[in-house]
Amino acid sequence: MQLLILILIIFSLTLLIGFSFSIAYQSSNFFNFTKAIIITFAPYFTYLFFVQLQLSLFLSISLAIICTTAIGMLSEIVLYKPLRKCNSSHVALMLSSLGLYIVLQNIISLLWGDRPLSVRTGEIRTGHEFFGSVISNTQIVTVTVCLVLFTACAFFMKCSRIGRNIRAVASNPELSNIVGICSDRIILWAFAIGSALASVAGILIAFDTDMRPTMGFSWLFYGVAAMIIGGMGSNRGLIGGALLLVTAQYLTSYYIGSRWMDAITYVILILFLIIKPLGFSGKRLKKVEI
Amino acid sequence: MEYMLHLLILVGIYIMLSQSLNLSAGFGGMMSLAHAGFYGVGAYTAALFAVNYQLPFLLVLPIAMLLSGLLALIVSAIALRTVDSYFIVCTLGIQVVIFSLMHNWTSLTRGAFGIPGIPSIELFGVMIQSRLSFLFLTLFLVVLMFFFLKKLTESSFGRTLRALSEDEIFAQSLGKNVYLFKVITFTMSAMFAAVPGTLYAHYITYIDPTSFTIDESVFILSIVIIGGMRNLWGSVIASAFLVLLPEALRFVGMPSSVAANIRQIIYGGILIFMMFRYNRGVAHKYE
Repeated sequence: MQLLILILIIFSLTLLIGFSFSIAYQSSNFFNFTKAIIITFAPYFTYLFFVQLQLSLFLSISLAIICTTAIGMLSEIVLYKPLRKCNSSHVALMLSSLGLYIVLQNIISLLWGDRPLSVRTGEIRTGHEFFGSVISNTQIVTVTVCLVLFTACAFFMKCSRIGRNIRAVASNPELSNIVGICSDRIILWAFAIGSALASVAGILIAFDTDMRPTMGFSWLFYGVAAMIIGGMGSNRGLIGGALLLVTAQYLTSYYIGSRWMDAITYVILILFLIIKPLGFSGKRLKKVEI
Repeated sequence: MEYMLHLLILVGIYIMLSQSLNLSAGFGGMMSLAHAGFYGVGAYTAALFAVNYQLPFLLVLPIAMLLSGLLALIVSAIALRTVDSYFIVCTLGIQVVIFSLMHNWTSLTRGAFGIPGIPSIELFGVMIQSRLSFLFLTLFLVVLMFFFLKKLTESSFGRTLRALSEDEIFAQSLGKNVYLFKVITFTMSAMFAAVPGTLYAHYITYIDPTSFTIDESVFILSIVIIGGMRNLWGSVIASAFLVLLPEALRFVGMPSSVAANIRQIIYGGILIFMMFRYNRGVAHKYE
Protein backbone atom coordinates (compact mmCIF):
# COMPACT_ATOMS: atom_id res chain seq x y z
CA MET A 1 0.00 0.00 0.00
CA GLN A 2 2.85 2.35 0.90
CA LEU A 3 4.36 1.41 -2.44
CA LEU A 4 1.13 2.37 -4.21
CA ILE A 5 1.06 5.77 -2.53
CA LEU A 6 4.69 6.36 -3.43
CA ILE A 7 3.99 5.38 -7.03
CA LEU A 8 1.01 7.74 -7.09
CA ILE A 9 3.10 10.69 -5.84
CA ILE A 10 6.00 10.16 -8.20
CA PHE A 11 3.59 9.42 -11.03
CA SER A 12 1.79 12.74 -10.60
CA LEU A 13 5.07 14.67 -10.49
CA THR A 14 6.42 12.85 -13.54
CA LEU A 15 3.16 13.49 -15.34
CA LEU A 16 3.31 17.22 -14.67
CA ILE A 17 6.96 17.51 -15.71
CA GLY A 18 6.42 15.41 -18.81
CA PHE A 19 3.44 17.53 -19.76
CA SER A 20 5.32 20.80 -19.20
CA PHE A 21 8.16 19.49 -21.34
CA SER A 22 5.91 18.26 -24.08
CA ILE A 23 4.11 21.63 -24.45
CA ALA A 24 7.38 23.42 -25.13
CA TYR A 25 8.78 20.51 -27.11
CA GLN A 26 5.86 20.28 -29.51
CA SER A 27 6.01 23.90 -30.55
CA SER A 28 9.76 24.48 -30.62
CA ASN A 29 10.79 20.97 -31.64
CA PHE A 30 14.02 20.43 -29.74
CA PHE A 31 15.10 18.78 -26.49
CA ASN A 32 15.27 21.62 -24.06
CA PHE A 33 17.74 20.82 -21.28
CA THR A 34 17.07 24.23 -19.75
CA LYS A 35 13.81 22.85 -18.41
CA ALA A 36 15.89 20.88 -15.90
CA ILE A 37 17.26 24.09 -14.48
CA ILE A 38 13.78 25.62 -14.42
CA ILE A 39 12.74 22.76 -12.13
CA THR A 40 15.74 23.56 -9.95
CA PHE A 41 15.44 27.32 -9.96
CA ALA A 42 11.87 27.38 -8.63
CA PRO A 43 12.63 25.88 -5.20
CA TYR A 44 15.76 28.00 -4.86
CA PHE A 45 13.73 31.13 -5.49
CA THR A 46 11.20 29.89 -2.95
CA TYR A 47 14.07 29.39 -0.52
CA LEU A 48 15.32 32.91 -1.24
CA PHE A 49 11.95 34.58 -0.65
CA PHE A 50 10.63 32.34 2.09
CA VAL A 51 13.66 31.50 4.24
CA GLN A 52 16.13 34.24 3.43
CA LEU A 53 13.77 37.22 2.95
CA GLN A 54 11.11 35.93 5.37
CA LEU A 55 8.11 36.60 3.14
CA SER A 56 4.88 34.71 3.60
CA LEU A 57 4.66 31.22 2.11
CA PHE A 58 1.96 31.99 -0.42
CA LEU A 59 3.64 35.19 -1.62
CA SER A 60 7.06 33.58 -1.94
CA ILE A 61 5.73 30.63 -3.91
CA SER A 62 3.91 32.91 -6.35
CA LEU A 63 6.96 35.15 -6.69
CA ALA A 64 9.15 32.11 -7.29
CA ILE A 65 6.83 30.83 -10.01
CA ILE A 66 6.80 34.26 -11.67
CA CYS A 67 10.60 34.61 -11.54
CA THR A 68 11.18 31.11 -12.88
CA THR A 69 8.69 31.59 -15.70
CA ALA A 70 10.49 34.82 -16.53
CA ILE A 71 13.77 32.90 -16.80
CA GLY A 72 12.13 30.38 -19.11
CA MET A 73 10.75 33.12 -21.32
CA LEU A 74 14.02 35.04 -21.30
CA SER A 75 15.91 31.95 -22.47
CA GLU A 76 13.53 31.76 -25.43
CA ILE A 77 13.79 35.47 -26.27
CA VAL A 78 17.53 35.86 -25.82
CA LEU A 79 18.82 32.50 -27.00
CA TYR A 80 16.49 30.23 -28.93
CA LYS A 81 14.67 32.81 -31.03
CA PRO A 82 17.87 34.28 -32.52
CA LEU A 83 19.19 30.76 -33.04
CA ARG A 84 16.02 29.75 -34.88
CA LYS A 85 16.25 32.89 -36.94
CA CYS A 86 19.58 31.79 -38.38
CA ASN A 87 18.18 28.39 -39.28
CA SER A 88 19.85 26.27 -36.65
CA SER A 89 19.32 22.55 -36.66
CA HIS A 90 17.58 21.17 -33.61
CA VAL A 91 20.82 19.53 -32.56
CA ALA A 92 22.40 22.99 -32.34
CA LEU A 93 19.44 24.24 -30.32
CA MET A 94 19.71 21.24 -28.03
CA LEU A 95 23.43 21.77 -27.45
CA SER A 96 22.95 25.46 -26.74
CA SER A 97 20.29 24.58 -24.19
CA LEU A 98 22.79 22.16 -22.65
CA GLY A 99 25.28 25.05 -22.46
CA LEU A 100 22.68 27.25 -20.79
CA TYR A 101 21.91 24.44 -18.37
CA ILE A 102 25.57 24.21 -17.36
CA VAL A 103 25.84 27.98 -16.91
CA LEU A 104 22.67 28.35 -14.82
CA GLN A 105 23.35 25.25 -12.72
CA ASN A 106 26.75 26.61 -11.74
CA ILE A 107 25.27 30.00 -10.98
CA ILE A 108 22.95 28.27 -8.52
CA SER A 109 25.92 26.41 -7.02
CA LEU A 110 27.80 29.69 -6.67
CA LEU A 111 24.91 31.54 -5.06
CA TRP A 112 23.51 28.88 -2.74
CA GLY A 113 26.26 26.27 -2.48
CA ASP A 114 26.24 22.60 -3.40
CA ARG A 115 24.89 21.15 -0.17
CA PRO A 116 21.21 20.20 -0.04
CA LEU A 117 18.84 22.86 1.30
CA SER A 118 15.32 22.52 2.59
CA VAL A 119 12.34 24.84 2.43
CA ARG A 120 10.48 22.87 5.08
CA THR A 121 9.78 24.77 8.27
CA GLY A 122 8.81 23.50 11.67
CA GLU A 123 9.33 19.97 12.88
CA ILE A 124 8.49 17.04 10.69
CA ARG A 125 5.01 15.81 11.48
CA THR A 126 3.92 12.25 11.08
CA GLY A 127 1.55 11.80 8.19
CA HIS A 128 -2.02 10.56 8.17
CA GLU A 129 -2.90 6.93 8.51
CA PHE A 130 -4.43 5.75 5.29
CA PHE A 131 -5.32 2.06 4.89
CA GLY A 132 -2.42 1.04 7.02
CA SER A 133 0.14 3.29 5.38
CA VAL A 134 1.34 6.84 5.89
CA ILE A 135 0.86 9.89 3.72
CA SER A 136 1.93 13.38 4.71
CA ASN A 137 0.10 16.65 4.11
CA THR A 138 2.69 17.76 1.56
CA GLN A 139 2.22 14.57 -0.39
CA ILE A 140 -1.56 14.98 -0.48
CA VAL A 141 -1.09 18.55 -1.73
CA THR A 142 1.46 17.32 -4.30
CA VAL A 143 -0.85 14.72 -5.78
CA THR A 144 -3.87 17.05 -5.82
CA VAL A 145 -2.04 20.01 -7.33
CA CYS A 146 -0.33 17.91 -9.99
CA LEU A 147 -3.47 16.12 -11.10
CA VAL A 148 -5.63 19.28 -11.06
CA LEU A 149 -3.03 21.29 -12.96
CA PHE A 150 -2.56 18.51 -15.49
CA THR A 151 -6.29 18.21 -16.14
CA ALA A 152 -6.74 21.97 -16.31
CA CYS A 153 -3.86 22.45 -18.71
CA ALA A 154 -4.85 19.53 -20.90
CA PHE A 155 -8.30 21.11 -21.12
CA PHE A 156 -6.74 24.51 -21.77
CA MET A 157 -4.64 23.10 -24.60
CA LYS A 158 -7.68 21.54 -26.16
CA CYS A 159 -10.19 24.33 -25.91
CA SER A 160 -8.62 27.76 -25.53
CA ARG A 161 -7.40 29.88 -28.40
CA ILE A 162 -3.80 29.83 -27.25
CA GLY A 163 -3.87 26.08 -26.82
CA ARG A 164 -5.22 25.59 -30.32
CA ASN A 165 -2.61 27.95 -31.70
CA ILE A 166 0.17 26.09 -29.91
CA ARG A 167 -1.01 22.87 -31.51
CA ALA A 168 -1.20 24.57 -34.88
CA VAL A 169 2.37 25.82 -34.63
CA ALA A 170 3.46 22.39 -33.46
CA SER A 171 2.09 20.70 -36.54
CA ASN A 172 3.29 23.23 -39.08
CA PRO A 173 4.92 26.57 -38.17
CA GLU A 174 5.05 27.98 -41.69
CA LEU A 175 1.44 27.26 -42.49
CA SER A 176 0.32 28.79 -39.20
CA ASN A 177 2.34 31.90 -40.01
CA ILE A 178 0.48 32.13 -43.30
CA VAL A 179 -2.94 31.97 -41.66
CA GLY A 180 -1.93 34.76 -39.31
CA ILE A 181 -0.65 33.04 -36.18
CA CYS A 182 2.60 34.62 -35.04
CA SER A 183 4.63 31.46 -34.38
CA ASP A 184 7.26 33.25 -32.30
CA ARG A 185 4.69 34.61 -29.89
CA ILE A 186 2.99 31.23 -29.63
CA ILE A 187 6.29 29.50 -28.89
CA LEU A 188 6.90 32.12 -26.19
CA TRP A 189 3.48 31.26 -24.72
CA ALA A 190 4.35 27.59 -24.81
CA PHE A 191 7.60 28.29 -22.99
CA ALA A 192 5.80 30.35 -20.37
CA ILE A 193 3.17 27.69 -19.67
CA GLY A 194 5.77 24.92 -19.69
CA SER A 195 8.08 26.81 -17.34
CA ALA A 196 5.26 27.67 -14.94
CA LEU A 197 4.18 24.02 -14.72
CA ALA A 198 7.77 22.85 -14.31
CA SER A 199 8.37 25.38 -11.53
CA VAL A 200 5.28 24.20 -9.66
CA ALA A 201 6.58 20.64 -9.93
CA GLY A 202 10.01 21.76 -8.71
CA ILE A 203 8.57 23.52 -5.66
CA LEU A 204 6.45 20.50 -4.78
CA ILE A 205 9.48 18.22 -5.03
CA ALA A 206 11.48 20.55 -2.79
CA PHE A 207 8.77 20.60 -0.13
CA ASP A 208 8.63 16.82 -0.08
CA THR A 209 12.38 16.14 -0.16
CA ASP A 210 15.44 18.36 -0.23
CA MET A 211 16.81 20.42 -3.08
CA ARG A 212 20.24 20.46 -4.61
CA PRO A 213 21.59 22.21 -7.71
CA THR A 214 21.62 19.03 -9.80
CA MET A 215 18.18 17.71 -8.87
CA GLY A 216 16.39 18.88 -12.01
CA PHE A 217 18.19 16.65 -14.44
CA SER A 218 16.96 13.23 -13.36
CA TRP A 219 13.42 14.52 -12.83
CA LEU A 220 13.35 16.06 -16.28
CA PHE A 221 14.48 12.78 -17.73
CA TYR A 222 11.79 10.84 -15.96
CA GLY A 223 9.31 13.24 -17.55
CA VAL A 224 10.94 13.00 -20.97
CA ALA A 225 11.05 9.23 -20.77
CA ALA A 226 7.36 9.18 -19.92
CA MET A 227 6.69 11.46 -22.87
CA ILE A 228 8.65 9.32 -25.33
CA ILE A 229 7.08 6.10 -24.05
CA GLY A 230 3.63 7.61 -24.31
CA GLY A 231 4.19 9.13 -27.72
CA MET A 232 4.56 12.75 -28.67
CA GLY A 233 1.58 15.04 -28.28
CA SER A 234 -0.76 12.58 -26.72
CA ASN A 235 -2.02 13.23 -23.20
CA ARG A 236 -3.46 9.78 -22.73
CA GLY A 237 -0.17 8.29 -23.89
CA LEU A 238 1.68 10.49 -21.42
CA ILE A 239 -0.45 9.22 -18.54
CA GLY A 240 0.17 5.62 -19.62
CA GLY A 241 3.87 6.26 -20.10
CA ALA A 242 4.31 7.90 -16.71
CA LEU A 243 2.36 5.11 -15.03
CA LEU A 244 4.39 2.37 -16.71
CA LEU A 245 7.69 4.08 -15.99
CA VAL A 246 7.06 4.86 -12.34
CA THR A 247 5.60 1.44 -11.64
CA ALA A 248 8.61 -0.20 -13.23
CA GLN A 249 10.94 2.02 -11.22
CA TYR A 250 9.35 1.28 -7.89
CA LEU A 251 8.88 -2.42 -8.52
CA THR A 252 12.60 -2.53 -9.34
CA SER A 253 13.50 -0.66 -6.20
CA TYR A 254 11.23 -2.92 -4.16
CA TYR A 255 12.41 -6.25 -5.52
CA ILE A 256 15.96 -5.61 -6.69
CA GLY A 257 17.21 -2.46 -4.99
CA SER A 258 16.71 1.26 -5.29
CA ARG A 259 20.21 1.72 -6.72
CA TRP A 260 19.05 0.35 -10.06
CA MET A 261 16.16 2.81 -10.44
CA ASP A 262 17.97 5.21 -12.78
CA ALA A 263 19.34 2.39 -14.88
CA ILE A 264 15.92 0.78 -15.33
CA THR A 265 14.45 4.13 -16.39
CA TYR A 266 16.98 4.53 -19.14
CA VAL A 267 16.81 0.91 -20.22
CA ILE A 268 13.05 1.27 -20.68
CA LEU A 269 13.56 4.56 -22.50
CA ILE A 270 16.14 3.08 -24.86
CA LEU A 271 14.00 0.02 -25.50
CA PHE A 272 11.08 2.23 -26.41
CA LEU A 273 13.19 4.50 -28.61
CA ILE A 274 14.26 1.45 -30.57
CA ILE A 275 11.33 -0.90 -30.64
CA LYS A 276 8.47 1.52 -30.67
CA PRO A 277 9.75 5.02 -31.44
CA LEU A 278 6.20 6.25 -31.81
CA GLY A 279 5.30 5.31 -28.27
CA PHE A 280 1.89 3.94 -27.38
CA SER A 281 0.28 6.42 -29.70
CA GLY A 282 0.91 9.84 -31.08
CA LYS A 283 2.62 11.39 -34.01
CA ARG A 284 5.45 9.98 -36.05
CA LEU A 285 8.83 11.25 -34.95
CA LYS A 286 10.71 13.30 -37.42
CA LYS A 287 13.13 11.01 -39.22
CA VAL A 288 15.85 12.15 -41.57
CA GLU A 289 14.75 15.10 -43.64
CA ILE A 290 14.89 14.73 -47.37
CA MET B 1 57.61 21.30 -12.08
CA GLU B 2 56.06 17.96 -11.08
CA TYR B 3 52.69 19.66 -11.09
CA MET B 4 53.25 21.02 -14.59
CA LEU B 5 54.01 17.50 -15.77
CA HIS B 6 50.84 16.25 -14.11
CA LEU B 7 48.79 18.89 -15.94
CA LEU B 8 50.44 18.04 -19.25
CA ILE B 9 49.59 14.35 -18.79
CA LEU B 10 45.97 15.30 -18.10
CA VAL B 11 45.93 17.48 -21.21
CA GLY B 12 47.27 14.52 -23.18
CA ILE B 13 44.52 12.26 -21.87
CA TYR B 14 41.83 14.79 -22.78
CA ILE B 15 43.34 15.31 -26.23
CA MET B 16 42.92 11.61 -26.89
CA LEU B 17 39.39 11.62 -25.53
CA SER B 18 38.29 14.59 -27.58
CA GLN B 19 39.92 13.33 -30.75
CA SER B 20 38.31 9.95 -30.48
CA LEU B 21 34.95 11.65 -29.96
CA ASN B 22 35.70 13.98 -32.87
CA LEU B 23 35.81 10.91 -35.10
CA SER B 24 32.20 10.00 -34.34
CA ALA B 25 30.72 13.41 -33.52
CA GLY B 26 32.60 15.55 -36.02
CA PHE B 27 33.28 13.29 -38.97
CA GLY B 28 30.45 10.84 -38.51
CA GLY B 29 27.86 13.36 -37.35
CA MET B 30 26.92 11.28 -34.30
CA MET B 31 26.92 13.47 -31.21
CA SER B 32 27.46 11.11 -28.33
CA LEU B 33 27.03 11.75 -24.64
CA ALA B 34 28.28 8.28 -23.76
CA HIS B 35 31.98 8.92 -24.27
CA ALA B 36 32.89 9.09 -20.59
CA GLY B 37 31.18 5.71 -20.28
CA PHE B 38 33.54 4.11 -22.81
CA TYR B 39 36.46 5.93 -21.21
CA GLY B 40 35.35 4.39 -17.92
CA VAL B 41 35.00 0.93 -19.44
CA GLY B 42 38.61 1.24 -20.62
CA ALA B 43 39.79 2.37 -17.21
CA TYR B 44 37.89 -0.33 -15.32
CA THR B 45 39.02 -3.10 -17.65
CA ALA B 46 42.62 -2.02 -17.26
CA ALA B 47 42.31 -1.73 -13.51
CA LEU B 48 40.59 -5.07 -13.01
CA PHE B 49 42.96 -7.02 -15.25
CA ALA B 50 46.06 -5.35 -13.86
CA VAL B 51 45.04 -5.78 -10.22
CA ASN B 52 43.46 -9.22 -10.35
CA TYR B 53 45.57 -10.96 -12.99
CA GLN B 54 48.76 -8.82 -13.06
CA LEU B 55 48.60 -8.64 -16.84
CA PRO B 56 51.20 -6.40 -18.53
CA PHE B 57 50.16 -3.06 -20.02
CA LEU B 58 50.75 -4.16 -23.61
CA LEU B 59 48.19 -6.91 -23.13
CA VAL B 60 45.74 -4.86 -21.06
CA LEU B 61 45.53 -2.08 -23.63
CA PRO B 62 44.17 -4.21 -26.50
CA ILE B 63 41.82 -6.06 -24.14
CA ALA B 64 40.40 -2.76 -22.89
CA MET B 65 40.03 -1.51 -26.45
CA LEU B 66 38.31 -4.70 -27.52
CA LEU B 67 35.89 -4.74 -24.62
CA SER B 68 34.99 -1.09 -25.04
CA GLY B 69 34.63 -1.63 -28.78
CA LEU B 70 32.46 -4.68 -28.28
CA LEU B 71 30.16 -2.77 -25.98
CA ALA B 72 30.01 0.11 -28.45
CA LEU B 73 29.27 -2.32 -31.28
CA ILE B 74 26.26 -3.75 -29.49
CA VAL B 75 25.08 -0.38 -28.27
CA SER B 76 25.50 1.43 -31.59
CA ALA B 77 23.90 -1.34 -33.62
CA ILE B 78 20.81 -0.67 -31.54
CA ALA B 79 21.07 3.06 -30.92
CA LEU B 80 21.84 4.05 -34.50
CA ARG B 81 18.32 3.21 -35.55
CA THR B 82 17.34 6.55 -34.06
CA VAL B 83 18.41 9.90 -35.43
CA ASP B 84 19.49 13.34 -34.31
CA SER B 85 18.17 14.38 -30.93
CA TYR B 86 16.87 10.90 -30.19
CA PHE B 87 20.32 9.49 -30.76
CA ILE B 88 21.74 11.95 -28.23
CA VAL B 89 19.07 11.00 -25.70
CA CYS B 90 19.84 7.35 -26.40
CA THR B 91 23.57 7.83 -25.77
CA LEU B 92 22.73 9.75 -22.62
CA GLY B 93 20.79 6.72 -21.47
CA ILE B 94 23.72 4.43 -22.28
CA GLN B 95 26.01 6.68 -20.27
CA VAL B 96 23.72 6.51 -17.24
CA VAL B 97 23.40 2.73 -17.54
CA ILE B 98 27.19 2.27 -17.76
CA PHE B 99 27.69 4.60 -14.80
CA SER B 100 25.14 2.79 -12.75
CA LEU B 101 26.78 -0.54 -13.57
CA MET B 102 30.14 0.82 -12.40
CA HIS B 103 28.53 2.26 -9.30
CA ASN B 104 26.26 -0.62 -8.32
CA TRP B 105 27.83 -3.84 -9.54
CA THR B 106 29.74 -4.04 -6.30
CA SER B 107 30.91 -7.62 -6.62
CA LEU B 108 32.91 -6.70 -9.70
CA THR B 109 33.78 -3.01 -9.42
CA ARG B 110 33.58 -2.47 -5.65
CA GLY B 111 31.07 0.30 -6.38
CA ALA B 112 31.71 3.71 -4.88
CA PHE B 113 34.86 2.50 -3.07
CA GLY B 114 36.66 2.27 -6.38
CA ILE B 115 39.68 0.13 -7.20
CA PRO B 116 42.92 1.10 -5.44
CA GLY B 117 46.46 -0.07 -6.00
CA ILE B 118 46.66 -0.25 -9.78
CA PRO B 119 50.31 -1.04 -10.59
CA SER B 120 52.58 1.18 -12.68
CA ILE B 121 53.13 0.40 -16.31
CA GLU B 122 56.02 -1.85 -17.25
CA LEU B 123 57.17 -1.66 -20.86
CA PHE B 124 59.90 -4.01 -22.16
CA GLY B 125 61.31 -4.47 -18.68
CA VAL B 126 61.37 -0.72 -17.92
CA MET B 127 59.12 0.53 -15.12
CA ILE B 128 57.44 3.78 -16.01
CA GLN B 129 57.18 5.38 -12.63
CA SER B 130 58.32 8.98 -12.89
CA ARG B 131 56.00 11.64 -14.19
CA LEU B 132 58.37 12.55 -16.99
CA SER B 133 58.51 9.06 -18.47
CA PHE B 134 54.74 8.75 -18.18
CA LEU B 135 54.39 12.02 -20.03
CA PHE B 136 56.54 10.64 -22.85
CA LEU B 137 54.36 7.55 -23.06
CA THR B 138 51.22 9.70 -23.15
CA LEU B 139 52.67 11.97 -25.80
CA PHE B 140 53.70 8.98 -27.88
CA LEU B 141 50.15 7.62 -27.80
CA VAL B 142 48.67 11.05 -28.51
CA VAL B 143 50.85 11.48 -31.56
CA LEU B 144 50.12 7.95 -32.72
CA MET B 145 46.38 8.46 -32.42
CA PHE B 146 46.54 11.86 -34.04
CA PHE B 147 48.31 10.54 -37.12
CA PHE B 148 46.08 7.53 -37.35
CA LEU B 149 42.95 9.69 -37.22
CA LYS B 150 44.46 12.16 -39.66
CA LYS B 151 45.22 9.42 -42.17
CA LEU B 152 41.88 7.75 -41.57
CA THR B 153 39.83 10.88 -42.11
CA GLU B 154 41.74 11.78 -45.26
CA SER B 155 41.20 8.34 -46.73
CA SER B 156 38.19 7.31 -48.75
CA PHE B 157 36.64 6.07 -45.52
CA GLY B 158 36.85 9.59 -44.10
CA ARG B 159 35.36 11.10 -47.23
CA THR B 160 32.44 8.71 -47.11
CA LEU B 161 31.89 9.60 -43.48
CA ARG B 162 31.83 13.28 -44.30
CA ALA B 163 29.40 12.67 -47.12
CA LEU B 164 26.99 10.71 -44.99
CA SER B 165 27.10 13.17 -42.13
CA GLU B 166 26.17 15.88 -44.62
CA ASP B 167 23.35 14.07 -46.32
CA GLU B 168 22.55 10.52 -45.33
CA ILE B 169 20.06 9.81 -48.05
CA PHE B 170 22.31 11.14 -50.77
CA ALA B 171 25.18 8.98 -49.53
CA GLN B 172 22.83 6.03 -49.52
CA SER B 173 21.80 6.72 -53.08
CA LEU B 174 25.47 6.49 -54.08
CA GLY B 175 25.48 2.93 -52.80
CA LYS B 176 27.14 3.51 -49.44
CA ASN B 177 25.99 1.39 -46.55
CA VAL B 178 25.28 4.26 -44.18
CA TYR B 179 24.31 2.11 -41.20
CA LEU B 180 27.43 -0.03 -41.42
CA PHE B 181 29.72 2.98 -41.75
CA LYS B 182 28.14 4.61 -38.73
CA VAL B 183 28.42 1.48 -36.60
CA ILE B 184 32.09 1.06 -37.56
CA THR B 185 32.86 4.69 -36.78
CA PHE B 186 31.10 4.66 -33.44
CA THR B 187 32.84 1.44 -32.45
CA MET B 188 36.23 2.80 -33.43
CA SER B 189 35.62 5.97 -31.53
CA ALA B 190 34.79 3.98 -28.40
CA MET B 191 37.86 1.79 -28.85
CA PHE B 192 40.07 4.85 -28.96
CA ALA B 193 38.34 6.22 -25.86
CA ALA B 194 39.54 3.14 -23.98
CA VAL B 195 43.20 4.09 -24.56
CA PRO B 196 43.14 7.23 -22.37
CA GLY B 197 41.05 5.17 -19.94
CA THR B 198 43.81 2.62 -19.39
CA LEU B 199 46.38 5.39 -19.16
CA TYR B 200 44.31 7.22 -16.57
CA ALA B 201 43.86 4.10 -14.46
CA HIS B 202 47.60 3.35 -14.43
CA TYR B 203 48.52 6.96 -13.87
CA ILE B 204 46.21 7.83 -10.95
CA THR B 205 46.51 4.21 -9.63
CA TYR B 206 43.03 4.52 -8.15
CA ILE B 207 39.70 4.79 -9.97
CA ASP B 208 36.12 5.21 -8.83
CA PRO B 209 32.90 5.80 -10.78
CA THR B 210 32.79 9.56 -10.11
CA SER B 211 35.46 10.14 -12.79
CA PHE B 212 33.14 8.82 -15.49
CA THR B 213 29.88 10.69 -14.94
CA ILE B 214 27.54 12.36 -17.37
CA ASP B 215 29.25 15.70 -16.59
CA GLU B 216 32.48 14.24 -17.91
CA SER B 217 30.71 13.25 -21.12
CA VAL B 218 29.32 16.74 -21.52
CA PHE B 219 32.77 18.14 -20.88
CA ILE B 220 34.38 15.98 -23.58
CA LEU B 221 31.64 16.87 -26.06
CA SER B 222 32.14 20.55 -25.25
CA ILE B 223 35.85 20.22 -26.00
CA VAL B 224 35.02 18.80 -29.41
CA ILE B 225 32.46 21.49 -30.18
CA ILE B 226 34.60 24.35 -28.90
CA GLY B 227 37.63 23.05 -30.79
CA GLY B 228 35.56 22.65 -33.90
CA MET B 229 33.90 19.69 -35.50
CA ARG B 230 36.21 17.75 -37.84
CA ASN B 231 39.10 19.82 -36.63
CA LEU B 232 41.73 17.61 -34.99
CA TRP B 233 44.07 20.48 -34.16
CA GLY B 234 41.14 22.40 -32.73
CA SER B 235 40.49 19.57 -30.28
CA VAL B 236 44.14 19.70 -29.17
CA ILE B 237 43.97 23.41 -28.47
CA ALA B 238 40.54 23.26 -26.84
CA SER B 239 41.58 20.44 -24.49
CA ALA B 240 44.67 22.34 -23.44
CA PHE B 241 42.60 25.48 -22.87
CA LEU B 242 39.78 23.85 -20.91
CA VAL B 243 42.00 21.63 -18.77
CA LEU B 244 44.36 24.46 -17.89
CA LEU B 245 41.57 27.02 -17.36
CA PRO B 246 40.92 26.25 -13.67
CA GLU B 247 44.67 26.50 -12.99
CA ALA B 248 44.70 29.91 -14.65
CA LEU B 249 41.71 30.96 -12.54
CA ARG B 250 43.46 29.73 -9.39
CA PHE B 251 46.53 31.66 -10.47
CA VAL B 252 44.43 34.83 -10.59
CA GLY B 253 43.58 34.21 -6.95
CA MET B 254 40.18 32.58 -7.05
CA PRO B 255 39.49 29.96 -4.38
CA SER B 256 39.36 26.54 -6.01
CA SER B 257 35.72 25.87 -5.05
CA VAL B 258 34.61 28.98 -6.94
CA ALA B 259 37.06 28.31 -9.76
CA ALA B 260 35.41 24.98 -10.55
CA ASN B 261 32.03 26.65 -11.00
CA ILE B 262 33.46 29.58 -12.93
CA ARG B 263 35.19 27.17 -15.28
CA GLN B 264 31.91 25.41 -15.99
CA ILE B 265 30.14 28.74 -16.51
CA ILE B 266 32.85 29.76 -18.96
CA TYR B 267 32.66 26.56 -20.97
CA GLY B 268 28.88 26.60 -20.94
CA GLY B 269 29.02 30.15 -22.22
CA ILE B 270 31.48 29.25 -24.96
CA LEU B 271 29.26 26.31 -25.90
CA ILE B 272 26.27 28.63 -26.39
CA PHE B 273 28.40 31.10 -28.33
CA MET B 274 29.75 28.31 -30.54
CA MET B 275 26.21 27.29 -31.47
CA PHE B 276 25.71 30.65 -33.13
CA ARG B 277 28.98 30.30 -35.01
CA TYR B 278 28.74 26.55 -35.68
CA ASN B 279 25.54 27.10 -37.43
CA ARG B 280 26.73 29.99 -39.52
CA GLY B 281 29.99 28.18 -40.32
CA VAL B 282 28.18 25.15 -41.66
CA ALA B 283 25.82 27.29 -43.70
CA HIS B 284 28.75 29.22 -45.10
CA LYS B 285 30.65 26.20 -46.20
CA TYR B 286 28.03 24.00 -47.72
CA GLU B 287 25.32 26.18 -49.17
